[in-house]
Amino acid sequence: MLATYLQVLVSGLAIGGVYALIALSFSITFTTTKTLNFAQGEFIGVGAFLGVTVLYLVSGEGSFAALAPAAAGGARYPLAAAVVGAVLGALGILLFLAAIRPFAGKPGMSWVMSTIGFGIILQSLGLAVWGPAPVNMPSPFGDDVMRLAGAGVRPQEILVLAVAVVLMAALDLLMRRTRLGKAMRAVAHNPQVAALMGINVAAVMLGAFALSSALAGVGGLLVAPIASASLFMGMGIALKAFSGAIMGGLDNPRGCIFGGFALGLLEAGVALWEAQWREIVIFLLIILVLAIRPNGLFGARALDKV
Amino acid sequence: MPSISDDITRRGFGRGTLAALLAAPAIARAQPREEIRLGFNGDLAASPSAQSGRAAVVGIRAAIEDLNREGGVLGRAFSLIVRDDLSQPPKSIQNMSDLIDNERVVAVLGPTNSGNALAWRHIPNQKRVPVMGCIGSATDITRPIRAGADNYMFRVGSVDRTQVIALMAYAKKNPRSGRIGFLTETTGYGQAGLRDLQEVAQAQGLTAAANERFNVNDTDMTSQLAKLRTAGVETALVWAQGTPIGQLMRSMDKIGYFPTVLTSWAADNLSFINAAGPTLAERPIFLRTVSEDRTPRQQAFFDRIRPQLDADSAYSFAVHGYDGTMLLARAMQQAGNTEGPAVRAALEDLQGRLDGYAKTYERPFTRDQHEALTAADQRWTCWRGGRLAAFDDAVVAGLRPEDFRG
Repeated sequence: MLATYLQVLVSGLAIGGVYALIALSFSITFTTTKTLNFAQGEFIGVGAFLGVTVLYLVSGEGSFAALAPAAAGGARYPLAAAVVGAVLGALGILLFLAAIRPFAGKPGMSWVMSTIGFGIILQSLGLAVWGPAPVNMPSPFGDDVMRLAGAGVRPQEILVLAVAVVLMAALDLLMRRTRLGKAMRAVAHNPQVAALMGINVAAVMLGAFALSSALAGVGGLLVAPIASASLFMGMGIALKAFSGAIMGGLDNPRGCIFGGFALGLLEAGVALWEAQWREIVIFLLIILVLAIRPNGLFGARALDKV
Repeated sequence: MPSISDDITRRGFGRGTLAALLAAPAIARAQPREEIRLGFNGDLAASPSAQSGRAAVVGIRAAIEDLNREGGVLGRAFSLIVRDDLSQPPKSIQNMSDLIDNERVVAVLGPTNSGNALAWRHIPNQKRVPVMGCIGSATDITRPIRAGADNYMFRVGSVDRTQVIALMAYAKKNPRSGRIGFLTETTGYGQAGLRDLQEVAQAQGLTAAANERFNVNDTDMTSQLAKLRTAGVETALVWAQGTPIGQLMRSMDKIGYFPTVLTSWAADNLSFINAAGPTLAERPIFLRTVSEDRTPRQQAFFDRIRPQLDADSAYSFAVHGYDGTMLLARAMQQAGNTEGPAVRAALEDLQGRLDGYAKTYERPFTRDQHEALTAADQRWTCWRGGRLAAFDDAVVAGLRPEDFRG
């Protein structure tokens, strides 16, 4: 029985790590610009396919649809991660310039539609380039099950968790300990005052979108060996991650990470009870949390002056 | 200087039009007669089963090639109009109306995903256009809309109910079966299969000790499997598509729990072995309609179309597509026209023998029976060394016709 609970913990943390990473990426743009990228799901799918493409091009092993296990070996997977991060970061900047900045600071929610539209364009382009069929991606550390006190886990799941935790810890340090982090927090707090203090507000906002999009792309690359890469894979992950972010408090990065992990653990835990009730239980719980704490568990209480 | 168009007077234009109208029937007679248009509506790219849809289209095209080489039917050649539904029910419904109303097809083959057939089967029944299923295997697809109503849904393909009956008979006959449990996907395909599993288990006097569900995109089913293990399940009957069955095998590997696995035939899909890997893929036992031990005639057809298939395992769908198209053509020949009601009536009372690639058809359909392939046409299959292979053991050898109840 203990092994069963341990398995739930391991499985929940593995998928929760991805949710947390994407939830954090939502938080980064929200705290700096008060906007969100609703194309984050598509960014995940594009990141995964871009990763497969890089592995295929540099390794030349197997076919594009079924890469040989060796294709992800050596320095190829980190290289793929670097390329995906850079390209998706650039896409994030493009997204900010094309779909966010024209509408920022103006009344209405045009940026919601424009980011959704950007995602649809990106997905359609992806379909034209890669086609809609899912593609297998090998894991850099092989596929053999590892045993932890009776619970089984695959190397990729540990990698997902480890990379997510390292990235999140690094970003936490960046936000709290560096001048850049201070600048980002200042922009989040009050862009006008931050600009008066000599902070390049536009650059900080651009950087936030680049970072957020790069995280989504790397998230896609991390999940692909577990779920196989697909342009449609990101929607479900982004929705769960967004729910986790809302539950934890969108304006609190640590809260978002907590929310992501909590959601992953809840999924695995509820499945142990009645799997078909999983989504119902999770979303009822989120509604309940928001009813009691409208800004999420760790969100700052915002007062809108009317 | 006047241009040429200025020379055309209104009277002259009128005369020309009149002459053209008079000549029109003569022109129509002189040209070859209009083609018989068949439609295909199904997923060719999006879902884990898309490979099967593409294979069916290969089979249909091969049949049309053979038919046209013989001069077609009723002096008319066949043509195929293909619509991809991306496995989405709304798109599939839209395709169905488009094929029937705009493209004027006389019959439709497909779809790939059972749920889509269930979403639109009222349309061909209302518009009285025969549909020949060749991939989707849900039992309800060929059920009439109302008892006694004319039914335009036919099938040359596998049927969930037939598979469930045979798998359940195996579970009942196997002395090592122990307790049985159900694992199903939450899609229309999985849940229709679950209903079949429950009904057939009852008919054969078996009770499931556990009944768990998972989402089609789930990558970790360890929680559900832990419940089966706690319930003491030693034989799991699984109804899902290829990829999730593969993920299920991976989850079994994670917790080191390996009951006997009897699955839907979706395990023959390349998506299954891609997800499961070649070693874990050898565990499930499932049923197909075309044996891996091919007859020389089946082998010749296999060699002919193999270059166009994604995988060896997709061959059976090409066979269904081929045989289904041939049966439609034979029915049109017998009816003497391509009108829906006449073709339906001819299909339900097809004369003579037709040598198909799945089997030889003799009066394959009746008014109440719209399945061309039955329990006797099921072939036990598994994966061995990365390839599909015929499965045989003492239990399979001991199965008798009276064991197939439900």
